[in-house]
Amino acid sequence: MAVRAETQTPAWQRGKVASWLVTTDHKRIGILYIGTSLLFFVLAGLMALAMRIQLAQANADVIGADRYNELVTIHGTAMIFLVVVPILVGFGNFLVPLMIGARDVAFPRLNALSYWLFALGGAVLMLSFFADGGAAKAGWTAYPPLSTETPGNGQDLWILSLHILSAASLAGAINFLVTIHNLRTRGMTWTRMPLFVWSIYVFSWLLIAILPVLSAGLTLLLLDRGISFGPWEVSTSFFDASDGGSAVLYQHAFWFFGHPEVYVMVLPAFGIISEVLPVFARKPIFGYKAVLLSTVAIGFFSMLVWAHHMFTVGLPYSLQAFFMVSSMVIAVPTGVKIFNWLATLWRGNLSFDTPMLFALGFISVFTIGGLSGIYLAAFPIDWQVHDTYFVVAHFHYVLFGGVVFAIFTGLHYWWPKMFGRVLDERLGKWQFWLLFVGFNVAFFPQHMLGLEGMPRRIYTYADESWEGYNLASTVGSWVMGIALLLFFWNVVRTSRSGPRVGNDPWQADTLEWYTTSPPPPHNFDDVPYVTSARPLYDLRRRLREKSDFREL
Amino acid sequence: MRAKLLLPAGLLLLAAIAAPGALADNGGFTPVDPESPNAEGIRDSFLFVSIFAVSIFVLVEGLLIAFLIRYRRRRRPRFEDGVQIHGATRLELLWTAFPVVVLFLIGTFVLIELPGITNVPSAGASGQLEVRVTGRQFYWQYEYPNGVIAIDTLRAPAGVPVRLEVVAPDDDVIHSWWIPALGGKIDAIPGTVNETWFEAERPGIYTGQCAELCGVEHAKMLASVEVMPEDEFEAWLAGRREEQTAGTSELGEEEWAGVCAKCHGLAGEGGVGPRLAGSIVLADPEAVESIVRNGRRTMPAVGSGWTDEQIQALTKYLQENPPSGS
Repeated sequence: MAVRAETQTPAWQRGKVASWLVTTDHKRIGILYIGTSLLFFVLAGLMALAMRIQLAQANADVIGADRYNELVTIHGTAMIFLVVVPILVGFGNFLVPLMIGARDVAFPRLNALSYWLFALGGAVLMLSFFADGGAAKAGWTAYPPLSTETPGNGQDLWILSLHILSAASLAGAINFLVTIHNLRTRGMTWTRMPLFVWSIYVFSWLLIAILPVLSAGLTLLLLDRGISFGPWEVSTSFFDASDGGSAVLYQHAFWFFGHPEVYVMVLPAFGIISEVLPVFARKPIFGYKAVLLSTVAIGFFSMLVWAHHMFTVGLPYSLQAFFMVSSMVIAVPTGVKIFNWLATLWRGNLSFDTPMLFALGFISVFTIGGLSGIYLAAFPIDWQVHDTYFVVAHFHYVLFGGVVFAIFTGLHYWWPKMFGRVLDERLGKWQFWLLFVGFNVAFFPQHMLGLEGMPRRIYTYADESWEGYNLASTVGSWVMGIALLLFFWNVVRTSRSGPRVGNDPWQADTLEWYTTSPPPPHNFDDVPYVTSARPLYDLRRRLREKSDFREL
Repeated sequence: MRAKLLLPAGLLLLAAIAAPGALADNGGFTPVDPESPNAEGIRDSFLFVSIFAVSIFVLVEGLLIAFLIRYRRRRRPRFEDGVQIHGATRLELLWTAFPVVVLFLIGTFVLIELPGITNVPSAGASGQLEVRVTGRQFYWQYEYPNGVIAIDTLRAPAGVPVRLEVVAPDDDVIHSWWIPALGGKIDAIPGTVNETWFEAERPGIYTGQCAELCGVEHAKMLASVEVMPEDEFEAWLAGRREEQTAGTSELGEEEWAGVCAKCHGLAGEGGVGPRLAGSIVLADPEAVESIVRNGRRTMPAVGSGWTDEQIQALTKYLQENPPSGS
């Protein structure tokens, strides 16, 4: 048992703002992560809207080529490193200790450091637009020699930002692992742990495995660009062919990180879906152990597939065949998850509240993203569609249709736990339908654009036959924008007037619903002994059996 | 109340997927019509995968919609338990094995198709043509075995296998060669020699463009392949060889349009690069050569490694056709 010396909080730390700035409470840090990420989401989303306006018509000149390349680079980098990952880390922060019945994470101050490093890294990336020469413009993948030859400081700040964010993520990952290993409450064995906690567990191991490789690649990139420190100047040529280096080497380092990073984002999203579906189906998750094993399997195999991003660099065919097979292997546990989710709905008592709508939307669009992935894994097909809008469509189906839908599932579902008030259902449903339709209109036509020959990352095109799909895509992006506005309007409107709904509005199964909404700083006054993966379900049943129990 | 939502939901899903297709003027969910055996092999693989992708899509979305309708709450109490089923090992094994079989079939089909996609067909009576394709910021340069050089538009004979050696200069960046109708893409990487090929049966002009972000005017790095009847091509190649030596070929014009104009404008009116019309530098062949060979400020050394023939073609063209500015 940890012994905690109670100290009086100094007066200056008790203010409304100051208390958030100095907090080490995992719940507040979680909310800070989510809030900050939503701010970056708005910024990176506006970048996307600007790009879609530029691409609505052939030969348009709304934003210049240089600015477009900056937007395409920062939009991608920000959506991954500043929006999706940290928002999921925010959920992890808020939920993991509550779900395992702990008082806080293992290292609360390290947790605060992670958050502030993330905020700093995000600020560096966003402010790099004001750097000499503008922001980085070599794409979020920053392939050399393009990224080493670009003058100005944008690319250097991009590298710096990613280094800071990697440090934040590493510290956060270690924190999650130590927490999950050591702070589970009595009775919570590994196979009684909520599936969301499992997903954060695998997520953390993945980050620890892959981030150092990214950091190494980025450091070499920085050295290749050249750094000077007082009288010393270092300029290397790891990726410079004119001096014996290899540009493809960077791609290996980047994608060894980059592909598992996809699963870093997708696994916690899977975790959210696995928590929410059973609650609105009034059933246990179908095949708990199968879903759990598929999470672990996906985590492991995700580290063996990286070169499927490099099918066009001229690797030997035997190697390409290997990466085709390994990439296809990942589809198996992913399919297992989809089938288990469907089976969870089977013979349930389904309610279609907003969180459930988003979860169902997730299944329906993520399936499309998974299926288009099979085309990309088959390497000769990839030679045709690689680096085209087909790929853009594919990863938006996975990352927006998949992960962002899961994020809204989680936001609508856990909002009452975080703030004590539910979001408005009517606005929530409007948001879902607008987002669902807008998303499909924006991204489905991009499959066809890619097949017709439109490469990604071009700021304009001359082929007028591409205009129809592009215009549809742009219109879809506006509908998505309206849907997101509705979400923020919902947040503002319910922040004062939303109904308070008590500890457990959804009659859910996991421990976070046992405590008050929002939970007190110490989380729990007492934690029930855990006898299954659904402690609150067990508790309700025991109480009901005892007789006159109505509702918690 | 909630049941009412389901019908519009289904319709919206259909509309969302059908609308863009209806909006567009051409094409569908298949690659562009192949004009070369390798593109055909890729298209066949695509269609083979589609059989399974579409079936799985219909299965999953169909089950999803069916379950939503069948097991919706209706008049049951909100928190009444559904049937408490925890899992079924046989089902788990079944839906683990099913994708394995599907993926095995797809992988096998792809590997069977592979030789037809990668192997250059053995040359017929007229042999095969080899062309060196160099990707550069922001143009494609083609070198034929007899020394003929062309920019952006590759002329090729119909019915003859054309082998392409795809490269990029050491001081340039990565590009990617891609003509959708003539096969998949292959990267042009500094320090690496990659290979691809095509054999177009029908004369025509097939277009594509650089598929790897290569800098500010990446979007303008278009490529086209003009496939001509074989005798016409032979005549063009021989004629071009003579004209290039004599300094009367179209090379200078191709260089202006392909190398200079993408940044400076076709009439020299300026764009990403400064306005050239009226510049005294253009009248000075040595100054032009120096800038083209070495670059200047943010301008890359677009003509590093050019032959004197190439430089002279450009300076001659500029002297005879000074850019008008509009």
